Amino acid sequence: MRRGLMAWDEQELPRAALETRVALLREAVQAIGCDGFVAYTNIAKGAAVAWLSGFQPYWNEGLFYVPATGTPLFATALSKRVAEWIGSVMPIGQVQTTPKPALLIAQHIAQNAGQNKTKRIAILELDDFPAGHAKTFLENIPGVELVDGTAAFAKARAHVDTAERGLLAHADRLAETGLAAIDAKAANAQQALAPCDEHARLGGAEECFATVAPDLQTSARFQRTDTAGALGQTFAVRSSLAYKATWVRRTRSFTRDANLVPRFAAADALLASFQPPTEGSLAKAIAGHFTGPDLRVESWLAEQPAGSSPLSGVAASAGSEENWQRQAPFVLNIELSLNGARWLGARLVG
Amino acid sequence: MATSTHPARLKALAASMAAENTDVLVLFGNNWHADHLRYATDFGIQEGQGIALVRADGATTLILDDPAEAERARAEAAIGDILYAPSLVKEARRLLTREGNRQIGAAPFHLLPYGLLNGEKDLRVNDGTKVIERLLMTKLEVEMDAVRRAAKLADEGYAIFRDAARPGRKDYELVAEIETFFRAKGVPENFMIIGVGGQEVRGMAPPGGKVLKPGDMVTTELTPCVDGYYAQICRTLVVGEANEAQKQAFAVYLEAMEAGIAAVAAGVTAAEVAKAENDVFRKFGLGDYVTSEYTRVRGHGMGLFPDQKPQILEDVQIPLETGMTIIVHPNTYHPAVGYLVLGDSLIVRDRGHELLCGTPRQLFSVQ
Repeated sequence: MRRGLMAWDEQELPRAALETRVALLREAVQAIGCDGFVAYTNIAKGAAVAWLSGFQPYWNEGLFYVPATGTPLFATALSKRVAEWIGSVMPIGQVQTTPKPALLIAQHIAQNAGQNKTKRIAILELDDFPAGHAKTFLENIPGVELVDGTAAFAKARAHVDTAERGLLAHADRLAETGLAAIDAKAANAQQALAPCDEHARLGGAEECFATVAPDLQTSARFQRTDTAGALGQTFAVRSSLAYKATWVRRTRSFTRDANLVPRFAAADALLASFQPPTEGSLAKAIAGHFTGPDLRVESWLAEQPAGSSPLSGVAASAGSEENWQRQAPFVLNIELSLNGARWLGARLVG
Repeated sequence: MATSTHPARLKALAASMAAENTDVLVLFGNNWHADHLRYATDFGIQEGQGIALVRADGATTLILDDPAEAERARAEAAIGDILYAPSLVKEARRLLTREGNRQIGAAPFHLLPYGLLNGEKDLRVNDGTKVIERLLMTKLEVEMDAVRRAAKLADEGYAIFRDAARPGRKDYELVAEIETFFRAKGVPENFMIIGVGGQEVRGMAPPGGKVLKPGDMVTTELTPCVDGYYAQICRTLVVGEANEAQKQAFAVYLEAMEAGIAAVAAGVTAAEVAKAENDVFRKFGLGDYVTSEYTRVRGHGMGLFPDQKPQILEDVQIPLETGMTIIVHPNTYHPAVGYLVLGDSLIVRDRGHELLCGTPRQLFSVQ
């Protein structure tokens, strides 16, 4: 449930940037012979609609319809009393609140079908689209054909503009600020996570999922504040954070072992200095950068937005790199072994 | 790492599956609708989506499409069979195909991924809402205890909120203080919206950066989560001293809330509770403001989902049952002073209710 700052600032996210994104999407959708595009959104799967419209629901669900021409339509199950607020934070598109957003969009498409009896509608991530909404479309749009619009959206989404880079940079600074507020001497998970959340949100984070790997000697698994307890000699905190619907992650490892402090600091510096490769594989670049005495790369994962997912694995030490967009910023999560001691780090790269 | 509520839930779920002739129950969830997954697995999903397959013998598989969430589940969930699958639908279909001709139910049915039901070979999956809906609404004793603990934290959280609210502060800074408090208390989730201002404020929403100033009414609902269970409190405060109009308006909401709470008992319908609240507004000539033009609901159920059935509305005929946990809140717009909220969580009992919130029912004033 989003409860941090949610506001639209034209300086940060110009309306023109959103109009360009919608235009790119229209081109891609027309290229696959579709008459319109629909993306579903909720608090877990909101990245596509946020990229197109600037809007992320704090709760509930909605559907964003982009017709071939004309104004996009956002139908949401959020209540009528917040319609005005949605309009204030969603710079493009018409907003309509309704308990049945799929029915509203379906009726809109059907009414505007004109002479074209067959409607091909591209649905983002058709396989994951709520079945109830798909059924509503099929029952209420005569002759409709639902096709998967994921690839078309991905083609448009490959465009990374200045506005997005600015929001990413701000989000990354908030995550860094939150992690900097953690005391390495914190006795338990709650003492470590609370200031991380606090500083991120005081800076205007829309959301902050702070989790802790409480004892790196035994596990690299992150846990939430309700299940993690005492902290070991070394622990790591992972801050997954959104600012204006733009997500980043940062992870930082902490140690109370004086012998490990300089090694952890050196690993922090290595991560901070990593640059994305302009050519060649990401795996090769990582292997070439993260080197040192008794240092071994155990695993890594690169994440970028993909479809409705704010961050999704696009390359990994144990997988391929075919989904990695070289020109776009990404989050690099990496696990190192420092003379046998586990170290975890993550930051925005590019 | 099961919470104390999980074993009892599993027992209840197995009995319900047997009663509904369901061999396999497919439960879908994400950070918005986490309740169905949580019921069976005790895992509070945060990112991505998940599907749990619950068999009649209790054997449960949890599939998650985010690798870090799958790792977290291995540390936090109450079940052992956890799979990471980048394509949730493909993996769930693969596993369901193995179940052969067994009776498969799924919930929440309307949110199930389209591809799960419509593939090269359609799976026969029935709407399994009946198997789990009543279990989500009517709590077991151990579940009620978790809601009680959540309500206690809601009270403590509101005290933090009052201390944080002062002129010159931004609305999201108040939220930051609340979240800090909740994280320190081991609360991972909280549903919270806020309203700041006067007559122009028509509802609550996430904070937008408004700066508190003297005379503003500040409304909020806090909904912390303990062991997966939510409890809510709604209160209004005034920055500075409340004026006469604000005091008079608040008196209407107080009377309405108390009328609604007084009506709560097993066997009474949600509609009757809503009517008790709304009649007070009508008595004061404010009947227009209890319609959907100005308000959403007059209260609602809470549990593993912060806003579950029964919705307290005059057209909802669901009878309240002992063990339901609900909030009664006559929150709506008041034409003289703006949006105003007041609400307490409670447990429905045979002959009334058990009140869970202890914060005084007053229009607070902060300097």
